[in-house]
Amino acid sequence: MDKIRLILTLVTIAIIVIPIIGMLLAYQDNLLGLFIPPEITELTGDFMGSDGEDVFGLEAPAVVDELEYDATTRTFSVSFEFKNSFPLNITIKSLTGNIECEEHGFHLGIASLSKPVSIDAGETGTLTVLGTWTEEAIAHFGTAHGAEEIVDVVLVDFTVDISGIQLEMDQGQMEQSMQVPNPALME
Amino acid sequence: MGSMLTKFNWFALAGGVATILLIVVSAVYPWWQLTVGDDLITVKASPVNMNLGFFDTSFAVPFIWALNVIGILSLLASGVAMLIYSVIPRKSYSMHLLGFGYKKPLYIVLFFVMGLLVTTVICQTVLRLTIPLIGSATSTLPIPLVAGATLTVLLSAGFQWSFWLAIVTAALCIAARLYHGKVVAVPSV
Repeated sequence: MDKIRLILTLVTIAIIVIPIIGMLLAYQDNLLGLFIPPEITELTGDFMGSDGEDVFGLEAPAVVDELEYDATTRTFSVSFEFKNSFPLNITIKSLTGNIECEEHGFHLGIASLSKPVSIDAGETGTLTVLGTWTEEAIAHFGTAHGAEEIVDVVLVDFTVDISGIQLEMDQGQMEQSMQVPNPALME
Repeated sequence: MGSMLTKFNWFALAGGVATILLIVVSAVYPWWQLTVGDDLITVKASPVNMNLGFFDTSFAVPFIWALNVIGILSLLASGVAMLIYSVIPRKSYSMHLLGFGYKKPLYIVLFFVMGLLVTTVICQTVLRLTIPLIGSATSTLPIPLVAGATLTVLLSAGFQWSFWLAIVTAALCIAARLYHGKVVAVPSV
């Protein structure tokens, strides 16, 4: 009876000790590897450059088409090319932001992504942004930029939803400049 | 009929079968699952199998893998001991088999829940990352991906049905211990 008790106790100890000892022996030359698997190290390598600096991030998108404007609804659409410099496929689910006059900082309207866009790692995708000028914006274009056919505006304070991660730009960070035809002259 | 009922410890038989079944189920279905964003990061955890999905890569942490082996062996030993005990509950060594087997599923459930609690508290304290045990929470990621930007993400977590199977298994094993007194109290025919 005592033998059985002893055997069961030894089995309990062996069940706990042997896997731990075995793993410690297997990783004796790299104890950190016990907790950080090589896949994590590789992924970190993908995210960080050889000099340890961040090599990915959000590159400023480039405008690819001329802005299309509908005077009756004061809405416009503009397309950007965006390179996915992340080492993984992403889906840009939404993008919202404010549009301001670059010269005067006047709030002109809001912009948002027309539809979600999936972009593979390292590839470039086209984002179509829809926007609406406010009535005050049309007045501002008329009074402050009445003689200009093209007006410089900036997309500011924008929030991007990339595959469920909300990226919110702080005030003044990553402004996207673009030139738009003066809507006051297109009425 | 009465002697048939007390000849075996039916709770131990059910507990033993449930324990073996739990090993198989837990290898496939996690006890607890955490999802970050749109499946950007997934954590599928059980004492038998823990799988981390980071973006498109799936991997296991060697130390946790060792703990999983301990989990599998403990449950297997417990299940076998409970099954053997269930058919010979009146032998002189049966109580040792029962004592060896009935506590392990309970301990494994307790260690698993404690491990989750400790991990979430460490994440909260060290990384300032709120990880919910159940339900959803929005957390700010402590990763400086883009200067001047704030990253927030939705984390969803919850216990899966296999966790409730583990609790039922632990309860059956405890019931077997309680029923043991009734089994040994009835004289053999």
